[in-house]
Amino acid sequence: MNYKLLSLCVFLLTFSLTGLTLHAQEGEESESGTAAVDLDAGKSLFRSQCASCHNKNMKDDLTGPALGGTQERWAEYPREDLYTWIRYSQRMISDGHPRATELWGTWKPTVMNNFPNLTDQEIENVLAYIQGVYEGTYPPKAAGEEVAAVDVGTEEDSSNTFLFITLALILFILSFVLARIIGVLNAIARAKAEGTVAPSRSIWQVLTSKSVVGLLIFALVVVGGYTTVNNAINLGRQQGYAPQQPIKFSHETHAGLHKIDCQYCHDGARRSKHSVIPAANTCMNCHRAIKKGSKYGTQELTKVFASIGYDPINDTYIEDYEEMSNEEIADIYKKWIEAEYVKDNELDIIDEEGKLVRDDQWDEIVSSLTNEQKESVAGPIEWVRIHNMPDHVYFNHAQHVTSGQVECEQCHGAVEEMEVLAQYAPLSMGWCINCHRQSEVKGFQDNPYYHKEFEHYHNELQNGEREKVTVEDIGGLECQKCHY
Amino acid sequence: MKNNDNIWVGTKDLNGDKEFVENSKKEFFELPVANELSKDESESGLKSNRRDFLKYLGFGLGAATVAAACETPVRRAIPYVNKPDAIVPGVANYYASSFVNGSDFLPVLVKTREGRPIKIEGNKQSPLTEGGTSARAQASVLELYDSTRVKSPGKIKGTSVDKISWADLDKKIGEKLTTNSKVRIVAGSNYSPSIKSAFNEFKKKYPNSKWVSYDASSNSALLLANEKDFGQKAVPNYRFDEADVVINFGADFLGSWISPVEYAKQWSKKRKVKDYKKPEISRMIAFESFMSLTGSNADSRVLIKPSEQGLAIAKLHNEIARAKGGSTVSLDGQLSSEKVEKGVKAAAKDLLEASRAGKKSLVVSGSNNTAEQQLVNHMNYLLGNYGSTIRWDRKTNISQSIDAEMNALIDEVKAGKIDAIIFADGVNPVYSHPRGAELKKGLSKIDLSISTSILPNETFSACSWAAPEPHYLESWGDAEPKTGHFAFVQPTISPLFDSRNMITSLLSWSGKEGSESEDATEYAYQYIRSVWEKNVFPSQSEFMSFRSFWDNALHEGFYELPESANQVVYAGSVSGLGNKINSPVSSGLEIAFFETVNMGDGSYANNPWLQEMPDPLVRTVWDNCLNIPVEWDGGNSIDGWKNLNDGDIVSISNSAAEKDVTVVQQYGMKNDTVALAIGYGREVAGRSGAGVGVNVYPMLSLDSDGNVQYFSSIQVSDKKGVDKSFASVQYHHTFGVSDKDPESGETINVDEKAIVTLSEGYQGSITDRTIIRHADASQLEKAVHDLEHEREHHQHLNEQSLYPGHEDLYNKGHKWELSVDLSACIGCGACQVACISENNVPVVGKSEVRKHHEMTWLRIDRYFYGDFDSPNTAYQPMMCQHCDNAPCENVCPVAATNHSSEGLNQMTYNRCIGTRYCANNCPYKVRRFNWLDYTTADLWGLNENKVFDGESEPFYAENLTRMVLNPDVTVRTRGVIEKCSFCVQRIQEGKLRARTEKRALREADITTACASACPTGAIQFGDVNNEETKVTKDKNDPMTYYALEEVNTQSSVGYKMKVVNRNPDISSVDA
Repeated sequence: MNYKLLSLCVFLLTFSLTGLTLHAQEGEESESGTAAVDLDAGKSLFRSQCASCHNKNMKDDLTGPALGGTQERWAEYPREDLYTWIRYSQRMISDGHPRATELWGTWKPTVMNNFPNLTDQEIENVLAYIQGVYEGTYPPKAAGEEVAAVDVGTEEDSSNTFLFITLALILFILSFVLARIIGVLNAIARAKAEGTVAPSRSIWQVLTSKSVVGLLIFALVVVGGYTTVNNAINLGRQQGYAPQQPIKFSHETHAGLHKIDCQYCHDGARRSKHSVIPAANTCMNCHRAIKKGSKYGTQELTKVFASIGYDPINDTYIEDYEEMSNEEIADIYKKWIEAEYVKDNELDIIDEEGKLVRDDQWDEIVSSLTNEQKESVAGPIEWVRIHNMPDHVYFNHAQHVTSGQVECEQCHGAVEEMEVLAQYAPLSMGWCINCHRQSEVKGFQDNPYYHKEFEHYHNELQNGEREKVTVEDIGGLECQKCHY
Repeated sequence: MKNNDNIWVGTKDLNGDKEFVENSKKEFFELPVANELSKDESESGLKSNRRDFLKYLGFGLGAATVAAACETPVRRAIPYVNKPDAIVPGVANYYASSFVNGSDFLPVLVKTREGRPIKIEGNKQSPLTEGGTSARAQASVLELYDSTRVKSPGKIKGTSVDKISWADLDKKIGEKLTTNSKVRIVAGSNYSPSIKSAFNEFKKKYPNSKWVSYDASSNSALLLANEKDFGQKAVPNYRFDEADVVINFGADFLGSWISPVEYAKQWSKKRKVKDYKKPEISRMIAFESFMSLTGSNADSRVLIKPSEQGLAIAKLHNEIARAKGGSTVSLDGQLSSEKVEKGVKAAAKDLLEASRAGKKSLVVSGSNNTAEQQLVNHMNYLLGNYGSTIRWDRKTNISQSIDAEMNALIDEVKAGKIDAIIFADGVNPVYSHPRGAELKKGLSKIDLSISTSILPNETFSACSWAAPEPHYLESWGDAEPKTGHFAFVQPTISPLFDSRNMITSLLSWSGKEGSESEDATEYAYQYIRSVWEKNVFPSQSEFMSFRSFWDNALHEGFYELPESANQVVYAGSVSGLGNKINSPVSSGLEIAFFETVNMGDGSYANNPWLQEMPDPLVRTVWDNCLNIPVEWDGGNSIDGWKNLNDGDIVSISNSAAEKDVTVVQQYGMKNDTVALAIGYGREVAGRSGAGVGVNVYPMLSLDSDGNVQYFSSIQVSDKKGVDKSFASVQYHHTFGVSDKDPESGETINVDEKAIVTLSEGYQGSITDRTIIRHADASQLEKAVHDLEHEREHHQHLNEQSLYPGHEDLYNKGHKWELSVDLSACIGCGACQVACISENNVPVVGKSEVRKHHEMTWLRIDRYFYGDFDSPNTAYQPMMCQHCDNAPCENVCPVAATNHSSEGLNQMTYNRCIGTRYCANNCPYKVRRFNWLDYTTADLWGLNENKVFDGESEPFYAENLTRMVLNPDVTVRTRGVIEKCSFCVQRIQEGKLRARTEKRALREADITTACASACPTGAIQFGDVNNEETKVTKDKNDPMTYYALEEVNTQSSVGYKMKVVNRNPDISSVDA
């Protein structure tokens, strides 16, 4: 029986190793097959130049026709004709190229842009990418599908993990087998010496033996401890935290669509430790003109007006607004919501549904602007703070934005794409430290601050002994740069 | 007894007290557990037992589990609705203003963050103080956030107020007053042009009204003497920076006399040795009966009995008069000893020599006897000091009160001759006048009594109506502290409570139009503006428009008119003065009463920062203790007078009162003399001031001119008991102590147990540690050579190391160091309070201090040296030395303390696990451990410390109090070590400013709170890798040494040798 087990193990081992070898060979093959054109370069080119008019799936029309199968449709003409078509389509139509005239008939008056700067190779890349997407071969899928394990090969990150797991498994089986062999040999030796055959233990006995139970408990403690520590480290970290805000303010609309500079509103970032949540009067710089939102109409913007005391109907700021009761305030803004509702629905007088909409909107505004401590609608908007640092961390925006010239996106991510703002970075100490290790000190050569006391670095830079001065080099990893 | 080699801190030190030696070996002092837990011994009110401990333990575990499972709480970010242009959240704004409290005046800059004042800095532009500050001004920001402040106008009921509106109050007052009403306004010296003008308006309506200036600690005799001799009832402009010889008869001009910060600045200019080969420093000889702050800084002291001060002045006067050909006074009575006689002669010699050499001198006296002050005036006149060290061109206005006027007022009140009385400026005569009890009784007879005090006090409680003034940080105001020097008080925060400016109140009561307007602050502002436009603006020619004049003055915080020649001539005479001086009492015990730097006349009693600031000399906290002399038994022991020890209770009595007081031993006291501070023993003073110490004002008496006399005959009982709450930091955190080894008989360093007893010349072997270096000016050159030799030896020892040096590490980039000039440090404590304010250092309370748990990052060690009976004093500010070879760093198991590339010894609180190994290993004993949750920073308030008795919540738990915290400095939790960080937040801020402005770092960009607060410029901070900075120059000065340099800590704080300029004749008197 023991020998059976042994041979099974050896078989399994051989099988896995063969699988690995197989995969390695296949990987090489697939690489050599696509050496002539660069699909990835084609992709980025397509994204930047073509995607605004041609559909990404290559199968449906958009402003321009679907590009899937282009090469086949042009197959009867010389390849150069296709290049010319892409570079100078209008010239080709006026020259009376049959394929060009055919397309113009279908698509006029839409004119395709000229792309005189594209090289032949670049066009080939794009074409190959188009074909790849059209035929479903790009992005490339796993080469071998017969052994599940080999699938991992496409992604580098997990391939190592898989290798480790496999190795661990093999080693475990190996040690298990060896242990058995030793056990059997010992039993034989004992049998020879004592002349009796000791009864071999059953699987159950083995599993409930002290050493196995001990081992299990030990493993449990290690795994439990590891998880506890990891979770404890993550306590209070809020990466991805995207709470509902009192106003459905969209960074996508403001920073993305309208391209308002971050520091227009967050004007503390360049000169203070705080980036500063803008005051309501900053909102009013624009929203005195734009009184209704594109998405929510009067619903969200009225909250800003109600906070600061702006009367949108008369375009005035209300006197002694803070002293007014919530009922008086309600009258003003309900009138505004009502007026806009009437205008939008082209009514003469508000209907029953309109009244409902108006009251619902106002209730929502009141609940957003008030809480247990703040009873009046008037007064500051209490935003939910997303980036929360522990009290023992000193972080200064000006240091990073003005002195360090760090882009906002580096820590806050693509805010211009966030409808609801989320915390992009983990804001963990490891994350900070890592950046301090890698980042070069901006303006080290030009800023007179660095001249005198850091002369030695300048000398080293000049001698070529040093490539760059990182934040770490000027003490950016020291405790009391952030903790005091 | 003469002993020039020894340096000591107190009797226990000199006597080699067993307990003291034992404690100096340990970093952490532990009271015996039995003591702590037994009911009768425990002063801490500890009520927990073992079962409670287990309960808390269980709760703690449970709480931690629950906390771990909780979701992160939702936090809010609340922006402005309309953001003011001037405010950027996170960036501090500074406003030039003036700290004004009665006769305390100081030009300041107020640091505000998000619209709340958090720190006081000195105004460096001001010619008066050049940026110096005092402990009182530094602590004033805490008073703003005092939750016991009077919160609204209304009817006074004890310490609280039944609220009514200002309009109703004005109406009630209007009803009670008629044109003929006799109104008395009792206030501090009135040197505000606007209040003067407002009072004139008031007087127009009520012609029988009168302003009575009242300073509890008065200079009445000085004013009267000047009136007689110069026709000026004023304090002249003293110029200590011009005087080469200062003879001082009990004027505490460095601590509390008239304008101490200004005088300290001036005096210190003459005290810093620039070139050790030519040490040209001034000399101060102090005639005093106890060790005062100024006396402790004197070069030579002559001990006199309090009652013989007049005689000593007169004798000196006669010496001078004889030499200068002036008229002498006839005297009877004898000086108490030959020593005093010789002292007077020596002082006369110094004065006359200086006069002959064309140098300037100055004689000042704190005496409150008119005749004595007139003799001083005559002396100064004969010596030609008027016009040079004493000037009349810019006379000082901050002290104007005449004791007799207040005395007469009390008679009036008693007789019921007055219709209304208003106590303004927080004056508190019911507490602070010797006849306070009579006044209190009289007040009940007066129909209308109003107190405008911002804090409830004894006088407030005796009045019927409250009309609270705002704190100086929330109000508009102005001042003319010196003639021609106008200063501003400007608000830095909206009034926290319903208070009204005194100007507005006076104008409302006089029915001035518009004064009833809603915005009292704005009204006061407009009024001050109009007064300046009318009174100040026309006398200057620098600015064309009033607007530019006003804006400029407001920006600077003051405006100074050019000096105008003032033709004041001496027209006095000394005839007959000999009979008018205080006659010396030949025998019996006497007591001297004095004002301390922290408590003042008692108006600062409710400020815990000041209460916990140790007295500079006896180093007690939260108490005024009876200073008693020490006596040498002729053998090995020095004991307290009557064998009294620190913390014993005795009873003192004179004809007026009897009090039980705690005693403390003090060096440099005249025999048969004791001393006790005024300003304590408040009864109505909020939670931190009430019941602290004893009130000695009732023991004072008035002389024939009506001046209050600050000394008296006294009887002192034998020991009555022991004060179990006595707290003195005298013997806390001592270091560098040497003692005889009981086994070998050799001198060993007792604070370091691990001593390598190989032989001389090895690292760690027995070396005599001197942490204070001092020299007399006459022997300075030799002392500097000795020091150089010694330092060479130390450095040689330090080079014998296996480890590489740090030179290469720290000679690049920045390297922060501090230097302290011991000759300029006067021990005033401004730096200590500034540090507390800047770094959120908690108040721990008396019982915690008693357990050596005080948290101050900077302590001022006081050492005596020289003669045992009249020693010289050295003050050594001791903070973290930021050693490059720091012993604390090596022993931290979690690397919570380590070194930065800029030479800072960094302490990371969030990493600290509280092993306290670092503190144990610190040779300077500057690390502090948070034994309890002093700042209520913990998530779970388990071990919060209640500073005051009967508190419902800990001191720092109150939101109003927490507004004083500096948001740039972490509030430390229980269980972590903390220490001086060289104000790293200021370093970082300064560097950032330079970087963002794209310029090189300037010396002025960065300084520590202590250095910036120092009135004498004794502390300097800067980058030693920049050879231009003052600190680099100090580092290279041959007079600079490093404390415990021989133990190779490579510390970053250099101390400059203390140099005194003793009068050899006086020193020899004691031989």
